[in-house]
Amino acid sequence: MRVRNFDKEQLVKQKAVQMLVADGFEGFSVNKLAKACNISVGTLYIYYKDKDDLITRIAIEQGEAMHRATLKGFDPEMWFAEGLKVQWQNRYNYMMNEPDAMLLFEQLRSSTYHQQVIGPMSQNFKEVMGRFVSNAVSRGEIKQMPLEVYWSLAFAPLYALIRFHKEGMSLAATPFSMTDDILWQTFDLVVKALSL
Amino acid sequence: MCDQIKNILIFKTDIATAEARHSAGKILDAHMLIQDWNIDLDDEDYVLRVISSELTPQDVILTINNCGFFCEELAG
Repeated sequence: MRVRNFDKEQLVKQKAVQMLVADGFEGFSVNKLAKACNISVGTLYIYYKDKDDLITRIAIEQGEAMHRATLKGFDPEMWFAEGLKVQWQNRYNYMMNEPDAMLLFEQLRSSTYHQQVIGPMSQNFKEVMGRFVSNAVSRGEIKQMPLEVYWSLAFAPLYALIRFHKEGMSLAATPFSMTDDILWQTFDLVVKALSL
Repeated sequence: MCDQIKNILIFKTDIATAEARHSAGKILDAHMLIQDWNIDLDDEDYVLRVISSELTPQDVILTINNCGFFCEELAG
């Protein structure tokens, strides 16, 4: 009789993320994952309905783990610059410590799984981030603006720098490595750009 | 996952196409003792997953064989 093994489940999840990043969604299969984890295919199908179910659930879990890390030490009642700084630090730390997670999210964005994953994304995360921004608007710290405009200013610069760092180069293949100076100089300019 | 592990039966099949899945699916859908089923066409074993608190693996194998397909229980 099959018995649920939580250690095995954790191994499966870690290996699944590594293999999805290495092989892409098309190249990935439940069979290959089973072999890599040294478990039977049958065992995997106890936990997951099929390949799509596995990918969707792994992606949602990774997203929720990232949200938890992003909200660590963060309070939506914080002043704007203070709160955004916590966000930048948390997001930067997470992306440095979980490189596969970042690559997985990038793949997801351009995949058919995107809708299925984004839909169930943590309601709590959305509410907390939403409250932070609306508090800042109410206090007169920043202007009201569409979400895409806000995100493009508040976070896109951070992710651009992280990408340069991961690739080891910036524009025109110039060698690049992130430093605290560059990170926080960028942050200060972002806050200036958003502030009223 | 709210289904009991013991109610999840896993099989290797040769149900390799959407048409074949549709054909076997009509029988599986109509089976009173099958709560849910799924066939993963993305897997080389075309794994059939059946949720049933009453059926044995042999019952499922017989049902699938009767549809004209190969079916073998996958070890857990």
